[in-house]
Amino acid sequence: MSVSAGRLPQPTPSEAKRRKPGHVGWIVNRLGMDDTMEDQYNRVVPFHATNYVYCFGGIALVLFVLLAATGIMLAVYYQPTPDTAYQSVLNISTHVQFGWWIRSIHRWSAGAMVLLVFLHMLRVFFTGAYKKPRELNWLTGVALLLITTGFGFTGYLLPWDQKAYWATKVGTDIAGSVPLIGHFLLVSLRGGEQISAATLGRFFDLHVLVLPAVIIIFLLGHFFMIRRHGISGRL
Amino acid sequence: MTRSGFLKWLIGIFGAVSLAGIVYPVLRFLKPPAALSGAIGQVADVGPLSGFPAGQLTAVAVNDQPAAVQNLGGKYIVYSLICTHLGCVVEVAGDSFRCPCHGSEFSPTGVVTRGPAKLPLPTYRSQTRNGSLLVGLIDVSRAAYPGWYKGEF
Repeated sequence: MSVSAGRLPQPTPSEAKRRKPGHVGWIVNRLGMDDTMEDQYNRVVPFHATNYVYCFGGIALVLFVLLAATGIMLAVYYQPTPDTAYQSVLNISTHVQFGWWIRSIHRWSAGAMVLLVFLHMLRVFFTGAYKKPRELNWLTGVALLLITTGFGFTGYLLPWDQKAYWATKVGTDIAGSVPLIGHFLLVSLRGGEQISAATLGRFFDLHVLVLPAVIIIFLLGHFFMIRRHGISGRL
Repeated sequence: MTRSGFLKWLIGIFGAVSLAGIVYPVLRFLKPPAALSGAIGQVADVGPLSGFPAGQLTAVAVNDQPAAVQNLGGKYIVYSLICTHLGCVVEVAGDSFRCPCHGSEFSPTGVVTRGPAKLPLPTYRSQTRNGSLLVGLIDVSRAAYPGWYKGEF
């Protein structure tokens, strides 16, 4: 009896297994999420999903990360006023070191992301992956497609060249043709009746503040549900 | 060294090289370029101010490139004489410019008055120091779409 009275409580076998050595272990042990993470690491990709068409969504995510990183860098030099916008874009491409590279990655990734999100949607549609219980993930996916095109539309104005100006004129005119609320949409987007400095400010705000915040919320929901449901079964 | 230890080193080296390939351009990107810092850039001395009489254009060479200095009552403007159409050397004709290749004409302020050129003659950044004129980089703010800045669209 006296022998056992002084002994420290010993960890159970499963607790002992969780205690990891090293620097990574120091962090992992303090988060206490070992089992949760272990479950995430040990997922098996079903054989029917080891296929390029099942990669479209993942590639779209990689492009999103690239766009976020290069977009943050472009914002260092970009100036969203009518007097300086075009010149600042020109400066990024011609004077800033590696600026042409960063801007090209942003521009090409933007186009590719719209394409990949669309292809991902086609894959989900034609493999029937939207069916119960995955309907809510389909709906967040639709939202993500619209947000992605919203990024494309607002980003298109930012160089403030002729193509940007007229594309935005046509795009906002289309918004203005909606019955009843059309005029409200048009002036809300343009910040007035005409395309002006207010339009550029609003589109810049949408492109770098509003849409990134919204897309991250929907992305987290989208990925949470993928983990919850797992990859859909084969056809 | 064990085989797995060697592979760990190899992965570490590949990782470090990949990371450097991202970090290096990012750091270079963040360093503000000289052309945008307001400095006039690489300087060429094109001679004493007395060589540029008021109210006329005087041909000079800036780093072996043809240019012309305009003296507007003590304010010196240096125009590039490379035609913005196809790159011929523009001739000074009195107080304005004319391209011998395709007949583009430019006003005394370098604005196109007759095609086929569409863009104005670029100017160089310049400053006076100790009685001589120093010429630096092409002024990018004038290089393209001058009308755009004035809302002419």
